[in-house]
Amino acid sequence: MTLNPISSIKALFEGLMTVFKHLFRKPVTLEYPEKRRMLNDAFRGKPEVDGCIGCGVCKRVCPSGAIEFEKNENGKVISYTFDLKKCIFCGNCAYYCPVKAIKMTKDYELGVEKTENLILKYKGGADD
Amino acid sequence: MTNCLSLNLGPQHPSTHGVLRLLLKLDGEKILSCEPDIGYLHRGMEKMAEKMSYIQYLPLVDRIDYLAGFFYSELFCRTVENALEIELPDKVRAIRVMLLELNRISSHLLWIGAFLMDLGAVSPFFYAFREREMILRYFEKLTGQRMMYNYFVFGGVRKDIEFLEDVEEILSILPEKLDDYEKIITDNPIFIMRTKGKGILEAKTALNYAITGVNLRASGVDYDYRHNDPLYKGFDFRAVVMDGKDSWTRYKARILEIKESMNIVHQALVYLKEGGKLEQKLINPLNLKLPEGDYFQEIDAPRGTACCYIKSTGEDKPYRLKWRTGSYYSVNLLKKLLKGEYLNDAIAIAGSLDIILPEADK
Repeated sequence: MTLNPISSIKALFEGLMTVFKHLFRKPVTLEYPEKRRMLNDAFRGKPEVDGCIGCGVCKRVCPSGAIEFEKNENGKVISYTFDLKKCIFCGNCAYYCPVKAIKMTKDYELGVEKTENLILKYKGGADD
Repeated sequence: MTNCLSLNLGPQHPSTHGVLRLLLKLDGEKILSCEPDIGYLHRGMEKMAEKMSYIQYLPLVDRIDYLAGFFYSELFCRTVENALEIELPDKVRAIRVMLLELNRISSHLLWIGAFLMDLGAVSPFFYAFREREMILRYFEKLTGQRMMYNYFVFGGVRKDIEFLEDVEEILSILPEKLDDYEKIITDNPIFIMRTKGKGILEAKTALNYAITGVNLRASGVDYDYRHNDPLYKGFDFRAVVMDGKDSWTRYKARILEIKESMNIVHQALVYLKEGGKLEQKLINPLNLKLPEGDYFQEIDAPRGTACCYIKSTGEDKPYRLKWRTGSYYSVNLLKKLLKGEYLNDAIAIAGSLDIILPEADK
């Protein structure tokens, strides 16, 4: 493959000029633990529950089986657990919840010392 | 053949794409034969579908190709919608087309960065990622996550489109940046010497190996499924068809395709900015059952035509689900394309086909 040397040098020079322009720009990286990226409202982090009626829709739409219910003898839901080890943060439960009791928060730092702490247990659900 | 050497290229080689493993037989630096070995990223996507309801499976399809999640989401939604004979309203179509094409741009941008990295150029990688970041930021703002969007639902989208000014900004910045890439890459003599005339893919070979998408169009075959796609009805665009057949043409075709995608995004944006209420034809996913039968749909994904086949027995889960993905065929093509080439060019040729392994392995 033969190339025209003059046009090659011109192309190299043009390319280098484009690269050199960036020398005078500010860095774009953030020093993570000190500075954090702004998260927007739609962000899907750790799920939180408030005001559940125990209908069980979330369990049926959850792809990974992260949601479990505990029922009393009358078949009513008395407590439920979110297993964050299984959760894939798809947001199906929050989207299909009929009373919008499940919210995906902005909390994404889920490091814990014990894995049991990743299982969120909530009380309630049964109508009093 | 006493001095022929067997060489494993990958799956942990730093310059292979993901976990591609190529078993090469070498005579000196010349490749005598190439045997691609895939399956390192196999997650059983097809088998999983048989145990899940349609709505449970929907968030997972984004993961088939994590660089172009919208396409597979759309394809799966489309197959289900088609089985239930739902026609999408115009606004939903415009939203989907806009997001798909933005996704195509971000996927091609990543490819440009990764391909140039294969050839040893580092700065285009950072530039391409910088522009891709703008698109991902927009996706995150809208859908909640950067890659696993889970935004399309059967019969519509999760919520109305927002932050259109961000898309406008992307469209205004990108052309200038594309010119920058072209200045660095297109006429660069080193890049030309490494890609021009390398990895020549004849149209007949491409068709025999079932290659689709940009790779086929860069070999001079005018096949773009988007023209037959009811989703793109009313959008005016041209398929990028080039006749160079080599790695350089595949690069150039992707640059031109980004420009064409920007044109489609612009058309969708103009429509969406007019406002109008979002009408959807949402399906209750809890008792969603497809009628008995076979359903098949396709879409033009960034790495070739993708197809989804569902066989339903009338239950709430598919009896069998099959994906056809572009990368699988591109990996298979390496057998033919790398034969007789030099080892130095192996990664450059493999890279130019835009292989992404989760898509090939499923």
